[in-house]
Amino acid sequence: MKPSDPLKVVSQLLDLPLIDCNGNYCGIVDDVAFTGGGGKEARLDALLVGPGAYRGRMPRWAMWLVRKIAGDRMTRVPIAKVKSIDSAVHLTGAAEKLSLHDVENRVRAHIPRVGAM
Amino acid sequence: MRKLLLLLLVSCAACSKGPQADAPAISEARSLAAEWALVNQQAAEQKLTAPYVRTMHASIHQQLQTAATSLTQPHSVYGREIHALLKEPDAASPGALRARADRLKQIEDSLESA
Amino acid sequence: MNPLELTLGIMTAVGGFVDISELVFAAKAGSMFGYALIWVFALATGGIMVFGEMSGRVAAVAKQPVFNLMRHRLGLKLGLVTLFASLIANLITCAAEIGGVALVLRYLTGAPYLLMAVLAAAVLMASMWVLPFKWIERIYGLLGLFMLAFIAALVAIHAPWGKIAGGFVPQVPHGLSTKEYLVFAYFAVAIVSAVMFPYEAYFYSSGGIEEEWGPKDLPMNKVTCTAGFGLGSLLSIAILASSAQLFTPANVSPELLGSSALEVAIPFGWIGLVIALLGMLFAISGAAIETCMANAYSISQFFGWEWGRHRKPWDAPRFTVTWTVLFVAALAIILTGIDPMQLVEYAVLFSILVLPLTYLPLLLLAGDKSYMKEHANGRFGKTLGWFYFALITAAALGALPLYVLTSGGQG
Repeated sequence: MKPSDPLKVVSQLLDLPLIDCNGNYCGIVDDVAFTGGGGKEARLDALLVGPGAYRGRMPRWAMWLVRKIAGDRMTRVPIAKVKSIDSAVHLTGAAEKLSLHDVENRVRAHIPRVGAM
Repeated sequence: MRKLLLLLLVSCAACSKGPQADAPAISEARSLAAEWALVNQQAAEQKLTAPYVRTMHASIHQQLQTAATSLTQPHSVYGREIHALLKEPDAASPGALRARADRLKQIEDSLESA
Repeated sequence: MNPLELTLGIMTAVGGFVDISELVFAAKAGSMFGYALIWVFALATGGIMVFGEMSGRVAAVAKQPVFNLMRHRLGLKLGLVTLFASLIANLITCAAEIGGVALVLRYLTGAPYLLMAVLAAAVLMASMWVLPFKWIERIYGLLGLFMLAFIAALVAIHAPWGKIAGGFVPQVPHGLSTKEYLVFAYFAVAIVSAVMFPYEAYFYSSGGIEEEWGPKDLPMNKVTCTAGFGLGSLLSIAILASSAQLFTPANVSPELLGSSALEVAIPFGWIGLVIALLGMLFAISGAAIETCMANAYSISQFFGWEWGRHRKPWDAPRFTVTWTVLFVAALAIILTGIDPMQLVEYAVLFSILVLPLTYLPLLLLAGDKSYMKEHANGRFGKTLGWFYFALITAAALGALPLYVLTSGGQG
């Protein structure tokens, strides 16, 4: 399915994993953003990725806990960067270029590169 | 309502002491005694390794100690039987251990039929 | 189907089937109720075959592991509840397995238990770091085949095969007191939980992605689940039957992990004892790794991180940190001094409470034609799936009351 095709946001997009052009996992569709407003046509604008995107989907006390554990960073992935949607959302670009691997890269710096087959 | 709560508390207190409350500990002690006898019998037939026998003895002793400590009536007939079991040497004869297990089984059965 | 791959897959499933909870409950069940609980093992094995096959099929066709699709299906809030619940259940199970490994090492060497726990954790973590996924699964699964000594022992003690066969017929023993009926019911629930532990489906499905399964691997998936789990469950049944034959007449209701090994020592002497202990060592070690990795898979998949041991540890950094932290947390539980046999009771209890939450999304996903296309559950698969879902829900509802009423199966 292409992003320009008709799609059901909740059952066919929300909470799907994101996979970049190199086949790497780089997040989950935690929320979506629309353009337009009252009385105007609403268009899917971006996918929101990261714990900051839980804000609209969780009660306040749970969001407080999330912020304490994981912070509230959020990355916007423009809908133009989506190549196709099936059981995952496939992106046209690499995770690094879309700032989706920042945390992964920060953690990677602390992992010793020894011993693994 | 207060009377009902009081009755419930007294019933709970009654259940939490006495032979019926000690039944799981008696059953555990009986089983451990029988296991101990089985281990010693197999050890005598050279069927077990020394580290295994030592570890089983230590574990059995530890579990028996826990069972003995949990008794609500340690000076009862079964309490004295379990403490006597604890005093047995590690290499006690299988026959003696089985006899203790059988006595605990009799107590267990009499509690169940009570 | 590559015959060598298929054979190795089945043997790995057999060697990896038994873990500490099945060892403990099979031995106790046999000593307390003779052969009367064999049918529960068989019934539960059918359940893990059904859900195992579904989880492998979802991995091969949808190319996504269960937890990715589970969050999509259940949504964020219910998904978080499921994640948290399975995290707790798997962590307790992992701690019980590490404790079990330490106990077996103590039986083999006589060395102090807590020292063996630290050594075991270090060796298992080193295995997870150094070895790629396939090697981890194969090494521990194939070495777990030492457990076949229990089947050899059952043959050697001239077991009453007629009575064992009779045990496969659903039954409840006659003439039990009310308390004994409750204990029987508790053991039935515990056996269902131990055989169908949630980590097994998560690990199996993620393993399918690690090994890059596709639709062409579906026949192998089906055969591995049925033959592998079926033959594996015979190990548990052999432990139960030997216990009935040897322990019941001796008034032994095995309280210790090492008691099971006596079943092989009695017919075969100290060589049999050592082989049985080695089988237990590798089977429980494999289970410790599986439970830890299942948790790391679940967390990584839920939050969309890189995951998998088909990648080097630094290529999936958050996944690596997660399994390391989880293993250390499980070890920390053991180092508090809690009895691993008590942890087994808690693991079985928590797991059965979580099982319906675990298997419902899998059942729905495996039947969803939009993901599974022509490989979605057929009528037979749906019937079996819903039957087992009803069974585990009933078991989950009865678990806590039975645990309290029977003092954890003590009576």
